[in-house]
Amino acid sequence: MKHTAIVIFAILLVSGFCMLLFLTSGYHGARGSADNPYLAAGAAETGAVNLVTGIYLNYRLYDSLFELLVFSIAVLGVRFYLNADESQKPSVVRIAESPVVRIAADLLFGPIVMIGLYLIVFGHLSPGGGFSGGAVGGTGLLLCAAALGAEVVARRFHEQIIEQIEWGILLVILLFAIVPVLFGYTPLSDLLPPGRLGTLLSGGTIPIYNVLIGIKVFIGTWVVIYSFIHHRGEI
Amino acid sequence: MESINGIMIAIVLFGIGIFALIIRRDLVIKLLALGLIDSSSVLFLVSLNAEGDGIAPILYGPLAANYVDPLPQALVISAIVINFSLLALALVFVMLLVERYHTTDSVRIAHEVEKERQS
Amino acid sequence: MIIVLLPLGHFLLGVLSLLWQRGARRLFPFALLADASLIGTLWVRVAGGTSASIVLGGWGRDLGIELSADRIGLAFSTLALILAIAVTAYLWKERLRPYFYVLLHFLLASVFALVFARDLFNIYVIIELLTLVSFLLVGYERKAQQIWASLNYLILAALGMAMYLFGVGIIYYHTGTLNLTLLAERIIGMHDQMWLITASTLLVVGVSIKAGVFVFSLWLPAAHASASPAVSALLSGLVIKMGVVVLLRLSTVLDISLPLIVMGGLTGVVGAVYAMFTYELKRLLAFSTLSQIGYLLIGIGIGTPLAIAGSISYAVAHGLFKGLLFLAAGQVVHTTGSAFIPQQVARREKIPRATRIALLVGTLAIAGLPPLAGFCAKGLLSAATHSLAIHLLLVFVSLGTVISFSKLVPLLDPWRGGSDEGAKTISYGILALSIIAFLPLSFLFDGRIQVLSSLSLLHAGESIAIIAAGLLAHHVLRRHYTRLPQRIFRLEEAILTILSMFFVTFLLLAFF
Repeated sequence: MKHTAIVIFAILLVSGFCMLLFLTSGYHGARGSADNPYLAAGAAETGAVNLVTGIYLNYRLYDSLFELLVFSIAVLGVRFYLNADESQKPSVVRIAESPVVRIAADLLFGPIVMIGLYLIVFGHLSPGGGFSGGAVGGTGLLLCAAALGAEVVARRFHEQIIEQIEWGILLVILLFAIVPVLFGYTPLSDLLPPGRLGTLLSGGTIPIYNVLIGIKVFIGTWVVIYSFIHHRGEI
Repeated sequence: MESINGIMIAIVLFGIGIFALIIRRDLVIKLLALGLIDSSSVLFLVSLNAEGDGIAPILYGPLAANYVDPLPQALVISAIVINFSLLALALVFVMLLVERYHTTDSVRIAHEVEKERQS
Repeated sequence: MIIVLLPLGHFLLGVLSLLWQRGARRLFPFALLADASLIGTLWVRVAGGTSASIVLGGWGRDLGIELSADRIGLAFSTLALILAIAVTAYLWKERLRPYFYVLLHFLLASVFALVFARDLFNIYVIIELLTLVSFLLVGYERKAQQIWASLNYLILAALGMAMYLFGVGIIYYHTGTLNLTLLAERIIGMHDQMWLITASTLLVVGVSIKAGVFVFSLWLPAAHASASPAVSALLSGLVIKMGVVVLLRLSTVLDISLPLIVMGGLTGVVGAVYAMFTYELKRLLAFSTLSQIGYLLIGIGIGTPLAIAGSISYAVAHGLFKGLLFLAAGQVVHTTGSAFIPQQVARREKIPRATRIALLVGTLAIAGLPPLAGFCAKGLLSAATHSLAIHLLLVFVSLGTVISFSKLVPLLDPWRGGSDEGAKTISYGILALSIIAFLPLSFLFDGRIQVLSSLSLLHAGESIAIIAAGLLAHHVLRRHYTRLPQRIFRLEEAILTILSMFFVTFLLLAFF
């Protein structure tokens, strides 16, 4: 009885909410791009042809720093909670039984990581960037773990060293952002010149940030996935 | 009312997500609903500022072409990463709770926790 | 430039603490020292009249992210600093993993970043960071109760922030900017447009879930009560105020005063009522936090400079004495072995003297005894309210607070009890000192608001009368206390109440 009341109430409230949002958003076609301040001078100022990367790694770098921090803390938290009781888990790791999976994973792992690296390095010229490239690479590593076994891959990536590298990269990114302040530049401004549009070396410090963020997200994704695998004891 | 566009879909998804969050008792399904809610807010943000025939804001050519607004897409990158991190941690906590109480039913877990608190 | 060093500096130190884990604990006090000097410099600059505002990267306001320091932001930074020093002293002797200090660094980084933020999406990112860090801090000891409470907190906070993002989308679509200053310029003529009302409702509801407003924050009692005492002190004293700061920033741009007053009143009354009927010490403090947030919201809703000054000073004062109370409560629970007040009263010989004195100072402050901190702030708020209804509301909430805290009177005997650990005494001392020194110090931080002229003997008399009445009422009503139903804190019902209040807020904004 009470459950029915909750269901009816929920249906009413949720549909009312949706109708309200839909009717009052005032959507009347897309906004034009005529007066967009980013489109007007974005390419020239940042040097990045991909304007979205230009925005979040140059104009709004502050947001990206904190977003990286959220990601890193999440990885830290996952590791803290799942790996704390080391003694209890016998790690019974089974390699995927089916040969199709194993062979396919062997074949696909290489190209996937290459695609991830391409996304990272060319992030300022075509869609991509550090975050997506790193996620692709990390998931490729998961495929490798499915093929060879998680413990094999984990032995290659020593946990302590990986942790140091990950936070070390975050330290480098931060220093990149803060040290110019001490030399008199306004905070988070660009250090290197924009360069010729459309080439690999354009974009000022953006490619450097992309590579650093890409490695960091790569490692972070792998650590999260491996913590889950290790905690459950199988793949 | 125009044809179905991203905004309508986003609002409907948001509604489905909240509905599932309320009605379903299973903790994992609640997390899936939360993921749906996050995706819907991202979709709303992007489609509100996108044109039907706009192209991606990668400025190879002259400025005359109709580029899509790049700012919401940059916002969305941050939003996706943040929501992913929160969801991962929520999943960890759900795993810890499930191992402790051997059930994924949120009502029973709340009941058990309350009983422990009283004693 | 200094403004950006505060959050990013703590970010950097957190990362360093993680890489060099043995030095993490010893690094922390030096970090706080550096903070103190930076905040001091900023105060000098702001009090001298020059504004300290900067757009990161040197771009214009419509392109980059703006940070700006004003008295409000600096007041909260000072609160954060004092609470951080007290919590560090409290936890000095305990064996905490370096991970805890790393989380504290990141908590301070996000607090400093939020009080200076002036950009809607920046606020979103930092609120999510704050949610994440407090979520991890609450669940630190890995007890099942904490994990369940923080999971509820996380789900509700994520839902709230999704709504906030919807609101940001609508606002950006119509005005083309995310910066609060530019936004204020661009919506000058448009205050009764439908989309603005919807967007304002979405933003307010999204932030209220984090801010401790009653209907939206049903996760608060469970989370604050089940966390360890130092974490509860930080949460109740600091993190909740961040939601209030964001509501303040929003209220300077959007026109949301009526819902704020209504929600504030509701929160104050219901929190006070629940606090009156609770017999568990930490839950009592958590409910009392809820009701004090009601005060703050009413002040912000009224909107005059005097009212806002009253709200901010009350927020800082509340942070100080609620922090003190939570720290002392932690010791009480630890030494008497029970979380419930009747058993604590029965075993009260075990409570050390320093803890008793701390409890005494905290309780007197929250009751509003002049000339401690609570009175100063409450007096300012009373002076700012000109309508009788709101004044009566404030009086009722104060009365409720006094009645709830009268339960602690048997514990407050300061002349008995053994001695306490040195470190904990220092932490109590810091907070107690700041509470007592609040009134003289507020003259230093005074802006154009004349503190002394607003407070008068009338307010002092009113406060003392409320305290006396409350004590009397508690004595009379003691036999009639029953348990109030606490069933409403289930997740599903919380979400349903959030949705219903969404409609109420919308109607309030649309028709008034």
